Amino acid sequence: MPIILLDDPDSTLAMLRDSVATLGARADGAATFRRRRAAAVDLDPETWASMAAAGWAGLVLPEAAGGMGLGAAELVALAEALGRALLTEPFSTLAVFPSVLLGALDADIDALAEALIGGAVLPVLWQGLRGEVRPLALADGRLTGEAHLVPGAQSAQVFLVLAEEAGEPVLVSVEAASAGLRVHSRPGIDGATLGSVVLHDAVAGPVLARGAAVTDAFDQAIRMTRLALAAELAGIASRALEITVDYTSNRVQFAKTIASFQAVQHRLVDMWAEAEFACSSVANAATLADQPAAFAQAVLAAKARAGDAATAITRKAVHLHGAMGFTDQCDIGLYLKRAIALNATLGQPEELRLAFLDAERAA
Amino acid sequence: MHPEQQDWNALSDEDFRAIFRDWVDANCPAHLRFMRKQRPVFDEVAEWYHALARKGWLSPVWPQEWGGMGLNAAKHIVYVEEWARLGCPRIPDHGIGLTGPLLIEFGTPEQKDFFLPRILSGEHVWCQGYSEPNAGSDLASLRTSAVREGDEFVINGQKIWTTLAHCANWILLLARTDKDAPKPQNGITVLLVDLTSPGVVVRPIPNLREEADFCEVFLDDVRVPAKNVVGQVNGGWALAKAVLGHERIFLGAPSRPEYALTRLEMLAEDRGAFDDPAFRSRYAKLRLDLYDLGSAFERFAKVLREGGTLGADVSVLKLFCSELYQRITEETLAVAGEEARFYDDLPVGSGHVDAMNLFLDARAPAIFGGSNEIQRNILSKAVLGLPSR
Ligand SMILES: Cc1cc2nc3c(=O)[nH]c(=O)nc-3n(C[C@H](O)[C@H](O)[C@H](O)COP(=O)(O)OP(=O)(O)OC[C@H]3O[C@@H](n4cnc5c(N)ncnc54)[C@H](O)[C@@H]3O)c2cc1C
Repeated sequence: MPIILLDDPDSTLAMLRDSVATLGARADGAATFRRRRAAAVDLDPETWASMAAAGWAGLVLPEAAGGMGLGAAELVALAEALGRALLTEPFSTLAVFPSVLLGALDADIDALAEALIGGAVLPVLWQGLRGEVRPLALADGRLTGEAHLVPGAQSAQVFLVLAEEAGEPVLVSVEAASAGLRVHSRPGIDGATLGSVVLHDAVAGPVLARGAAVTDAFDQAIRMTRLALAAELAGIASRALEITVDYTSNRVQFAKTIASFQAVQHRLVDMWAEAEFACSSVANAATLADQPAAFAQAVLAAKARAGDAATAITRKAVHLHGAMGFTDQCDIGLYLKRAIALNATLGQPEELRLAFLDAERAA
Repeated sequence: MHPEQQDWNALSDEDFRAIFRDWVDANCPAHLRFMRKQRPVFDEVAEWYHALARKGWLSPVWPQEWGGMGLNAAKHIVYVEEWARLGCPRIPDHGIGLTGPLLIEFGTPEQKDFFLPRILSGEHVWCQGYSEPNAGSDLASLRTSAVREGDEFVINGQKIWTTLAHCANWILLLARTDKDAPKPQNGITVLLVDLTSPGVVVRPIPNLREEADFCEVFLDDVRVPAKNVVGQVNGGWALAKAVLGHERIFLGAPSRPEYALTRLEMLAEDRGAFDDPAFRSRYAKLRLDLYDLGSAFERFAKVLREGGTLGADVSVLKLFCSELYQRITEETLAVAGEEARFYDDLPVGSGHVDAMNLFLDARAPAIFGGSNEIQRNILSKAVLGLPSR
């Protein structure tokens, strides 16, 4: 079955995959999804703590800041495994994004990094209502404005904030418990709430970076997070395919397994092909991590490919489960919902493909 | 005959449409129009149900002597079209659309006298007990058994995916009365079963939209009087097929994709997507697919209007319609962009678009009513006459 094939000379990738499998066996992903959804919260604290304890919160945080300092290949292997295991805590947006953002700065990030590694929730406020980049206003050390589509907003200790001061981008932090900060939550399709955070004259921490350094850090954070999302989507795609091959190979109608019908076989083969392409596209991106221009393009391609593959495969998977697939108790529907959520995070496929084209034609 | 009845079929389609539309528009409560739920339960729409019953317009195709409107297929199509256009809610209609027509055609005089008025009054709410855990696409393999004991049948087994069984009090059951029939189709009987009988347990199954909509129905030594058999013992398969008749056209009625397209349009307007040529082009494709679904629907409606009967080829409507519904809702999620991460409805202007609700709902019509693969199998044999070896 499709897998993201990467060189693994010192078995780090195998180790990461194993540790995800171990956690997956302990913290049943599907059950956690449903429990979190029923509780209307943004993450499952127990699973999140286990992930932090395994070192994944700081996986891509530089060693100098106390992180594991691992690279694109390790990130991809871990995220793919999370996708397969349906471990749906917001790893990409709450571990990868702030890690890369902080790691890219030339500032004292020790306290924030330590909190992050320890499992603290540090969401980044930078998006508007429709996901567009939307800085808050910073004046006299106080923040005003609102941010949307915020993961982990209910559980946050500290928010990292993209703001604008005197026409220049700045990065600051703000305590979640600050006066003048309010959080509203809406249910997300993957069982975790998304927050809107409204700030009015909330006291900000010291400025962590200014100007081009901020833009550059955001570019890096978005890119690595997209790579993680792509890998997770590829994992979802191949696991959903496996589950469906299994189901249709056991489900009997007309005295035959339904997977013995050619119409079903052809559908499954098409799904497999989509998953294969998703995996190779993500592997390609992971191997280009040290060539900035090529990497940027490869990540756009991978996230678009894996997003399309995961959503299409999980849709077909639901269909091939018949009415069973239309129930909430059947896990295949959870894979569909997770795929929809991740595909919509940090750019849907068309937007990414157009960005690829623009960059290529500008070059 | 109901006092408000007349010979509707003698009117032109236009005249009938105007009369029907005016009354429905004036009487269907506003809060029930364009409901988010595909299948509201009886209590939610009881007021509208009873209003229709009082008017004598609850059951469009039943003969007038049984309290129906006696519409022919052409007028029935008008009825269904206007109903959808005005956004009237789907009422629990298994009694009106399934049990009623079955009894009118095949029931005993006693069955008709007892059951038909109780459907119209809303006292009996019906559900359809065909599918079983191991009998879905292969319905003929069903195993729920009905064994004769004196004046009764004793029923044991399990039904599943029974829509709205938790709000129904009667079930139209297909049961096996002959395990040894040379063809499994020939050992099946239709029974009318009171769901309040001892031995019946109904358990709702939450669906993909986290709603209780379909159910499991367990039957454990349930006793049913033999007079509740419809038609002949072991003759149920043909009955179940016959009752579908011209209604198969409605599996391809454009109302769901039509509604979904209005939601896509609202979202696209609000988000400025019509300024994007790529979106305009995709939208135009969907719009014209819907337009041409209308033409294809007309082509089959014409057959009915001219008094003909539908062939197997009508399945093409169900295929196209269910797949178009899916494509429209997928495009809606694409327009939603990052907001496709939300489970709840998306705010647009002064209202909302239920993008995710529709996307999830669109998974179902490709599965029920004979899955799209089964429809393609039927078309390949019955229409194209393709060889099977
Ligand atoms: C929302 C909803 C409401 C329903 N309401 C009712 C109800 O009120 N009463 C009732 O009795 N039933 C109801 N059903 C059940 C419905 O009739 C069945 O789901 C349907 O017959 C398919 O059966 P299955 O779910 O067991 O799928 P399966 O038959 O197991 O099929 C699984 C998959 O295999 C494919 N497949 C099966 N056979 C073949 C083949 N020969 N060639 C190619 N592909 C094949 C199917 O297309 C499907 O994709 C409902 C279903 C849904 C989803």
